[in-house]
Amino acid sequence: MNTRRFLIPVLAVTIALAVLHGQSQSPPRQDYDLAYIGPPLADPVMQHSKETYVLFGCAYCHGMNLVARGEATDLMHSALVGRDENANLIGPLLRAGIPQTAKLSPMPQFSDLSNAQIVDITRYIHYARQLGRYKELFEAKALGSGNAATGKAYADQHCRSCHQGVTDLSQAAKKYSRPSLTAKMLHPDFLDRPASWKLDQLHDTTTAEARQRHAHLLENYTESDVANLLAWLESLK
Amino acid sequence: MSPATPLTRRTFTFSASAAIAGASRSLLHAQTPPGNRSLINGVQFGLQPFCYHDLPMIPENRPALFDRLVQNGMGMVELHATWVEPRFTTPGVSARQAREKLRDWRLHAPDDHYLKIRQEAAALGISIFTYYINFNDTMPDEEVDAIFRGAKLLGARGCVGSYGLAQAQRLIPFPARHGMVLGLHNHDNLSDPDAFSSEASIVKGLSFSNDFKATLDTRHFTAANGDCLGFLERHHERVSSVHLGDRRKNNGRSTPFGEGDAPIIEILRMIRDNKWPIMALLEFEHGTLRPAVPEVRLMFDYCKRAVV
Repeated sequence: MNTRRFLIPVLAVTIALAVLHGQSQSPPRQDYDLAYIGPPLADPVMQHSKETYVLFGCAYCHGMNLVARGEATDLMHSALVGRDENANLIGPLLRAGIPQTAKLSPMPQFSDLSNAQIVDITRYIHYARQLGRYKELFEAKALGSGNAATGKAYADQHCRSCHQGVTDLSQAAKKYSRPSLTAKMLHPDFLDRPASWKLDQLHDTTTAEARQRHAHLLENYTESDVANLLAWLESLK
Repeated sequence: MSPATPLTRRTFTFSASAAIAGASRSLLHAQTPPGNRSLINGVQFGLQPFCYHDLPMIPENRPALFDRLVQNGMGMVELHATWVEPRFTTPGVSARQAREKLRDWRLHAPDDHYLKIRQEAAALGISIFTYYINFNDTMPDEEVDAIFRGAKLLGARGCVGSYGLAQAQRLIPFPARHGMVLGLHNHDNLSDPDAFSSEASIVKGLSFSNDFKATLDTRHFTAANGDCLGFLERHHERVSSVHLGDRRKNNGRSTPFGEGDAPIIEILRMIRDNKWPIMALLEFEHGTLRPAVPEVRLMFDYCKRAVV
């Protein structure tokens, strides 16, 4: 499913804008469940994705904010969701369902949905997961007990391919307080800049890959990973 | 249209709209007792409150639940134990401790606790048809008895829940002790030989005891490629209720009524025309952007049109 060009920029932008009220959108109708669905998201495209997630019943079991109900899978911490890139794993699973299971009710199949609907659902799952994981990690109590050497090893494996050298990262450690540094590591500022559809920027794969990479990291960091990375960054001061 | 004529949505809408115009007048003037406000043309409707997906199923929300049932014109409910029993899962209490506290509460719960809830419901014209609880092996016999005792005090005719053949076998002696029934509720897990999912598995469970009744979940049975109409034709005497909702076949998704493969209209007309004492408990899990009360109203309207 070739949605990468679209999915990742939208995700990144809407995370940053989520706190803003969607003033550009029409006011909800009286027959709209505002209390359950929540106020409109700033990005109408993400709002549409959220409503698609609701309309096809995903929220019923997996929760509006990925807090699962009953025996449903916890999408906030699911390894499969963490590995998914542009619906390459979630899409086929949605289409096939999980008929073989030890649970009371198997995960239904959604083979009648269009590709666009599958992408919408997936986009919202990643968006909600990134919001949730950001909150969990930012508020984690163990962030002060990291190991710098382990953090360096993590950075060598996951960060250095883009962050050549350590200069920019050491500057960041000097410049920011611990909370700011944590926030910027989890969600770098550049993710908030809207992606451009101008032809001369349309094929900016570097930024697109950076967005994808950071979104993926945010969804998969453990508390220890973040604590260790912070310890390493602060050792660069 | 002869009874055997297959119903399409168009023919149904046409004939129902003509029928409802006349019937609604008589319904308006019908002097139905409060507990039967959802008895419509011989079919007793009720609600499985899972439909109110936004309302956490906790005792504190029970007044809101009852209020919604009245708003939705429901006079009968299948009440989940979580609306009734106190919660012990508070911060600092482990899951095991909470489980032990709940067991202890069940064993010593005063009659008044249940009777008060029964009165709360009755005062609003709501009767509690069944008490929904998932029996399992962590419950010793005295706890199961205590649960049946509480259900009886609530005025329920039986207990029902999600469990399999092995658990049902273990529960054989309990309903008779309390003059009640045990409902066997199907899901659609065809991969689990212990699960109630196919006609054969439900029939096997029913064979354990005459006190066992089927709670045929039309959504799950349809998703498991079961034949709801055939099941009712063959086993209606052993069916106490249907969980009425829609899904698509082949483990398909839940849908609003009329958009899936469950023959909801035909099921309701079969109950109506044969005067079967089978409760039609609305239960659905499809997504909606509407608030829960209007959504239930829409689904209930769909059902009403089928039986007027």
